[in-house]
Amino acid sequence: MSAVEVSGVPATPVRRVSTRFLRSELRLIAVRRRNQVGLAALAAVPIVLAVAMKVAAPDTSDRPGGGPDFFAQITGNGFFVALAALGVELGLFLPIAIAMLAGDAVAGEANQGTLRYLLTVPVGRTRLLAVKYAGIVAGAFLAPLVVAVSGLVIGLILFGGGDVTLLSGTQVGFGEALLRLLGVCLFLGVCLSALGALGLFLSTLTEQPMGATIALTMLTVASFVLQQIPQLDWLHPYLLTRHWQDFGELLRDPVSFDALTPGLLSAGAYILVFLSAAWARFAGRDITS
Amino acid sequence: MSVFRSRPALRWLVPAAAAVVVIGGGAAAGTIVASADPSLPERSAAQLLVDVQNAKVDGFSGTVVQTADLGLPSLPGVTSGAGSSEIMNLVAGSNTARVWYAGEDKARLALMGTLGETDVIRNGSDVWMWRSADSSATHFKLPADKAGKPAKPQALPSGVPSTPQEAADAALAAIDPTTAVTTTGAAKVAGRDAYELVLSPRDTASLVGQVRLAIDAEKHIPLGVDVYAKGANNPAVRVAFQQVSFEVPDAEQFTFNPPPGTKVTEPSEADIAEERAKATTPEAEKAQKEAAEGTKVVGKGWTSVLVAKMPKGDDAKADNGAAGAAGQLDAIVGTLPKTSGTWGSGRLLTSALFSALITDDGRILVGAVAPEKLYEAAGK
Repeated sequence: MSAVEVSGVPATPVRRVSTRFLRSELRLIAVRRRNQVGLAALAAVPIVLAVAMKVAAPDTSDRPGGGPDFFAQITGNGFFVALAALGVELGLFLPIAIAMLAGDAVAGEANQGTLRYLLTVPVGRTRLLAVKYAGIVAGAFLAPLVVAVSGLVIGLILFGGGDVTLLSGTQVGFGEALLRLLGVCLFLGVCLSALGALGLFLSTLTEQPMGATIALTMLTVASFVLQQIPQLDWLHPYLLTRHWQDFGELLRDPVSFDALTPGLLSAGAYILVFLSAAWARFAGRDITS
Repeated sequence: MSVFRSRPALRWLVPAAAAVVVIGGGAAAGTIVASADPSLPERSAAQLLVDVQNAKVDGFSGTVVQTADLGLPSLPGVTSGAGSSEIMNLVAGSNTARVWYAGEDKARLALMGTLGETDVIRNGSDVWMWRSADSSATHFKLPADKAGKPAKPQALPSGVPSTPQEAADAALAAIDPTTAVTTTGAAKVAGRDAYELVLSPRDTASLVGQVRLAIDAEKHIPLGVDVYAKGANNPAVRVAFQQVSFEVPDAEQFTFNPPPGTKVTEPSEADIAEERAKATTPEAEKAQKEAAEGTKVVGKGWTSVLVAKMPKGDDAKADNGAAGAAGQLDAIVGTLPKTSGTWGSGRLLTSALFSALITDDGRILVGAVAPEKLYEAAGK
């Protein structure tokens, strides 16, 4: 397409791929003030939630299944603050965080007029896209971890720890429970990475980062809504958010990893399709800003 | 890559191809499983029945999925709205359960919910029921004399013939006037070869087209049941293993210790006896008798219609929950289409597999038949 891309091809095939670009991208994401504030907001939700439960707790235990999932168990074990917070934030906060990152990825650069300068450094467009996506994936894995760690810390302070009761009614030690929580975070990281791939594609379509962010948030909410409509059950297997709640499978005893496969496959399919679409769009378009 | 460089539009072929592969791959995986026809030695229906009765497995574990698509009309309060999802899933959705089995006295069934689970665990004479939604457990103790005895297989006809072969022949003979029993080549359920026993009603008035029973070719236990409505290509109700393993599960699957903070209810034997005594008091018996008098079955076999009296409006006695449920029921009935004929008038509920008629004079008629048959029965 241009001299830029041609020069992006390594002059000698043995040249080691430098991680400098990736490191610079990650640093850029990390120092951006809005990202820091967003991460702080994600971490604040479990704290608000735990304090609220501490202040006005007792009546939830009387109502069967009172409150959203895992809320009833919070007062018994601080571990569940992390799970309850993840469950709550999965509905909107986490997708918005990813949408913000994804919106910034390409559309943000284009909006600031820095995209063309970025492309003047000897970096191929495909590599640029790969680095941008790597940044989103890093965010997708970091965000649930931050929520979980913040929830764990505040939960342990306010309610204490101890053996954790799983969904199947069996108890496991705190160490194993932590391992399962890590598994939950990783699974959600994969799910959010799939969302990020869709976001990256949207980001290549526009020069307005806000547009991409809002579009991705709306798609997520729409997917949640469509999931609730029984008449559309033929559509449900294809929905992006369909398997997000599957993280609960990791809290059963014994864990059935087979039950996680559909969620991981679906995420993989989304990543494959929308990353290649982003590549087709981005590598083939003229950069004018 | 040079093609992509000279013609950027061609790049879109890549995501398009990826989408086709992904979506097509998912769809193809389903059809391959459905059309797979493993070659198995032929077995007659009678032989299959014998196999099922002689089946002996030491243990198995697996995942069972139940799906239903009854083609019900949309009912406000039932087919929509949050909180109704559990009921709704039974008639138009899917449920997943995991099962573990290790001999007659060790079994566990776990009904999966989104972020929840209901377990029923039997270990010797202990039976536990656990609900994660409200962290409650119920503990039953089976009477010692019953605990040891294996349950009688229900498939046996009452005459209890001496050999399984006789039993199978007797069973086939008994249902022959109403039902055609055939076998198909074979099927694949949960990745295992299976024989299929097909029961089709001889009476064409029935809404049921076929009932297909998949029987594992090696272990001879039923792996799945499909109920097809007449003329339908997809089962209206399907219960089948999605995955099954014939290894005996570990003993730890069957131990249950209520975690701290659990509300444990333990109905003692005395309580159960009391309940039983209550059920046999004169009033209860009278009520049962009354109910029985109003209930009759019209017709035979697949086209039989159950005629029952609607429960009388003794809402004053019932507690709030029951009254609320009754009110909800009234509301649902109110949305059904009205119908009338020489038999009177009422409201009609139709679905792919059954019809129900609620007459204005307080009768309810249900059957796996078209509405016309119900009108006929209502006129009698």
